[in-house]
Amino acid sequence: MKIHVNEQTIELAENTNIEQLLTHLDKPFIGSAVAVNQDIISRSHWANTIINEGDKISLFQAIAGG
Amino acid sequence: MLNDDELLRYSRHLLLEDVGETGQQALKNAKVLIIGMGGLGSPASLYLAAAGVGHIVLNDFDHIEVSNLQRQISYQSDDIGEAKVEVAKRKLQQINPEIKVRSINKAMPEMQLTMELIMADLVLDCTDNMASRQLINKACVDAKVPLIVGAAIRFEGQLMFFDHSETDSPCYHCLFPSSEEQTLNCSNAGIIGPVVGTIGTLQALEAIKYFVGLPSGIKNKLKLFDGKSLDWQTFTINKDPKCTVCGQH
Repeated sequence: MKIHVNEQTIELAENTNIEQLLTHLDKPFIGSAVAVNQDIISRSHWANTIINEGDKISLFQAIAGG
Repeated sequence: MLNDDELLRYSRHLLLEDVGETGQQALKNAKVLIIGMGGLGSPASLYLAAAGVGHIVLNDFDHIEVSNLQRQISYQSDDIGEAKVEVAKRKLQQINPEIKVRSINKAMPEMQLTMELIMADLVLDCTDNMASRQLINKACVDAKVPLIVGAAIRFEGQLMFFDHSETDSPCYHCLFPSSEEQTLNCSNAGIIGPVVGTIGTLQALEAIKYFVGLPSGIKNKLKLFDGKSLDWQTFTINKDPKCTVCGQH
């Protein structure tokens, strides 16, 4: 199925959860935030949140500067 | 009641239906704690002082270095070596002698932060590291004090507002649960002055809106700013029922 990650379209297997997506993309778990269709998914829900066809995933890092 | 000097000073606020004399009086009565007086805290505090926020507490433990001056607009070359909060306090009083400014020139231990929160209506997190951000978030959740968080790095900014007086509010920890992460900061990744200035300015705007009773457009939202495209992205922050900071409340 096709999904969008930070505006890029990628091919992803059905029934992939967020943890698996991050591993697939080689992204760190620590310091990352993930939103599915503009809704941020709490870290504790990554494993049970299944990504659907056409979902828009936003991945970004915590920044602390000021 | 506003005195004659104040009526003149704030005349452009008084013209605004959303502020008026009632809003200006609310600003005068307001107590804000600004933690971190760098690139975010500089513009945030300058605007809040100018706007007439009556009680401003500034907290930082840093001294001014030459590398700060590229973005920390409260300071000038003559100030190098001086404590940031002392210089900033002087500057704010010069801008507006009608307000009270207090400075705390040290890293506040948790107990002192808790005491300060008893006296604060609102906190601006303008710090530059994740450990402080987590500590401030927890203290604000416990004290039920609203928190406006700003952060910036390179050409990117992040802005969010949590109203911890509401029990179902999510918190910063729901969004970023780890304090030990290798987060980017200004000294290791670089920062463009107007990007951090934009975020600090918007923290001041949200604070003014909060004090005059206007709803925030960013409550429980994360705003991401891209300083290259000038695009904003908006995300909804959901309360994590398993959050170790706000989940038990």
